[in-house]
Amino acid sequence: MLSMLANLLKALNSETAPWQISLALCLSLPVALTPFWGLHNLLILLLVLLIRTNIASFLFGLALFSLLAMLIDPLSVRLGESLLANPALIDTWTSLYQSDFWRLMGFNHTLTLGGFVIALVSMAPLFAVMQVLIKQYRSKVMAWVNKLKIVQALKASKFYSIYQSVAG
Amino acid sequence: MLKWIRWSGLIGFAAVVALLAAFFLLAAGPLVKMAIESVGSKAAGAKVSVDHVSLTLSPLGFELQHLMVANADKPMENLLEFDSAVATVDLGPLLMGKGIIDDLSVNTLRFNTARTTSGALEKKADSGTSGSGQDQDKEPGITEALVSQLPSAEEILARESLKTEAAGKAFTETFDRRQQQLDTALADVPDEAALKQYEVEVKAITTEKITSLDDFNQRKKRLEALRDQFKADKKAVNSAKDLIGETRVEITQRLKDLKAAPGEDLASIRDKYQLNAQGAANLSGLLFGNQAGEWATEALYWYEKIKPYLASGDDEDSEPEYQRPDGRYIHFPTNNPWPEFLVRHSGISAETSAGNLAITGTDLTHQQAVLGRPARIDIDGAGLNKVKGLKLNMILDHRQAIGRDTLTLDVTDWQLDSVNLGLGDTQLESAMGQLQGMAQITSGKGKDELSSRLQGQFGQAAFSGAGHTVFAQELTRALASIKQFTIDARASGALTSPKLEFGSDIDKQLNSAFNQRLREQQDKLEAKLQSKLNDKISEYAGPYADDLQALNTADGSLTDKLAQLEDMARAELDDYVAEQKQEAKDKAQAKADDEADKLKSKAKDKLKSLF
Repeated sequence: MLSMLANLLKALNSETAPWQISLALCLSLPVALTPFWGLHNLLILLLVLLIRTNIASFLFGLALFSLLAMLIDPLSVRLGESLLANPALIDTWTSLYQSDFWRLMGFNHTLTLGGFVIALVSMAPLFAVMQVLIKQYRSKVMAWVNKLKIVQALKASKFYSIYQSVAG
Repeated sequence: MLKWIRWSGLIGFAAVVALLAAFFLLAAGPLVKMAIESVGSKAAGAKVSVDHVSLTLSPLGFELQHLMVANADKPMENLLEFDSAVATVDLGPLLMGKGIIDDLSVNTLRFNTARTTSGALEKKADSGTSGSGQDQDKEPGITEALVSQLPSAEEILARESLKTEAAGKAFTETFDRRQQQLDTALADVPDEAALKQYEVEVKAITTEKITSLDDFNQRKKRLEALRDQFKADKKAVNSAKDLIGETRVEITQRLKDLKAAPGEDLASIRDKYQLNAQGAANLSGLLFGNQAGEWATEALYWYEKIKPYLASGDDEDSEPEYQRPDGRYIHFPTNNPWPEFLVRHSGISAETSAGNLAITGTDLTHQQAVLGRPARIDIDGAGLNKVKGLKLNMILDHRQAIGRDTLTLDVTDWQLDSVNLGLGDTQLESAMGQLQGMAQITSGKGKDELSSRLQGQFGQAAFSGAGHTVFAQELTRALASIKQFTIDARASGALTSPKLEFGSDIDKQLNSAFNQRLREQQDKLEAKLQSKLNDKISEYAGPYADDLQALNTADGSLTDKLAQLEDMARAELDDYVAEQKQEAKDKAQAKADDEADKLKSKAKDKLKSLF
């Protein structure tokens, strides 16, 4: 976890574009909120690797949102149940169910569908907020933070040595 | 635009996927082997072992070599084993962890084969050998079991609520009550001495000479007093007589009940303990009962093993509310459903002691509600050792909460030989049978109901007997005349303890002969029972026999006394009145005669004066 945090800080302090960090965090959200072993997650992993997102941010986001998932899993399942049982959507689900691809995606699994929908809805706002926060951090906070005594103390700690090793 | 693309990432992804695929190819066989052995052992309660499992790519599937499933009850025996099996699986569902087997073919399936090492699981090693089938082999036949199960006369009498007992108590109570009433009534009846005294007094009043009118009036008064006493005594005698009559009627009825009770008890006990020959002289039960019992036990064993995997199909769909935090799959109508496990088609060639069987299974899954179709198993045997044709069809329908499993059986030209009847050293040497059977098991919530019927027609029957007893010889002679017979067996009720009924026309033919044998057992027991019940009658009725006789005597005595009193009262008074009347008449006659004489002499005198 410390390594992942160090990697994230490195990305934040580096030349990495904000969208790369934001997108990586956004893509980690559905992976964290749905069951890990699923074809949909394999496709997301392909996206993360194929698009130049920040992999460290993705892994950090995965760890962070997995903690969040423990809290909202019941909500995800309930949402999935209600969506799959919704009479207005039954025809859609039934037609998707005829396709092996969609069944492999696990759309008819309550936690998968519920978690994915929550992640999908949250992705755009999260992306926008992360973009703003990263830019604000780089322009205003980064220099100020470096001057803080606590940061000075941190630089003398184990964490900083890890950070240094990662930063090369 | 392409600067967004990370080609190294794509290569990395491909490498990861390739690694996963390679792992799958290498580890799939051992993983499946491990899964079969682990899950199979848990399900069978005994060791399940597979020699080798390999993955095939075209078509995608698995090959199993030499699978053995040990018998939990007999660890040195395999429940089943087969040499090889090939299964082709669907890749898509497999990626989701669903085992959809398109086709499964099993070669050389054998049952009840010997093992070289024990198949008991370690935790069950201590208790695994108990209740083995070897113990069942030593169980006696139906006839021996029937006779040995009969309780002794003492046990029956102690166990049953007897009418004899109740009738005896009723008799005693009635007799005691009536005795008290009679004692009170008889106390008011004059005894012999009193009667004699009456006789003396009446005689004194009526025979002695009346000396005067006062004397007459005095005697009359005494006589009337005696008459009043007679009236009172007569009333007492009549009351006692009526009471004796009522007592006699009531006690006679109680005695009749008491005497009839042992017979009723005997009939009731006979019915209850099936001592009647009709119940036990069921030769079809003797012919096929033990064998059918073994078959039923075997079938029930397999059904109980399979049932848990059939009944859970509706779990997912029947739970309306979310229960688990890890979610669930919701299924929709489709022509290609994916249950967790499914064998679409299976073909098994089985070797049994009776010959080779071809077994086909269709739509075998534990989630029939997802599949939407019931499972079907067909067993076909042609050219078996003793059976020309065997067709067994099973439809296991557990799509609804209440499951229905249906079985139909058709056996043609079953050659029976050397079937021991277990009776009088007789056996069915040979017969050719045709069997048709049907069974249905309805599984509700914790309750399995069986309804089944098996009909058989047997021809070319030949019986033999080597018994030396009269019964055995008679039975052999009776059997020799039978060339064909039918059987009709039914089992219904709870699956674990169904009510069995065997019927056959052969029973009617042999009933009388078989009756003889049971009659001996029955007579012995009945004689004992009769003796015991008679003892009970004596116990209740014996001490009162003398009293009853005395009652009858007293009744007769009272009748005599009554007649005597009536005679005395009426006869003596009649004599006295007649005497008084005669006396008065005589006096009047004498007076009239005297007056006539006087008139006559007076007339004579007048006539004399005239002449």
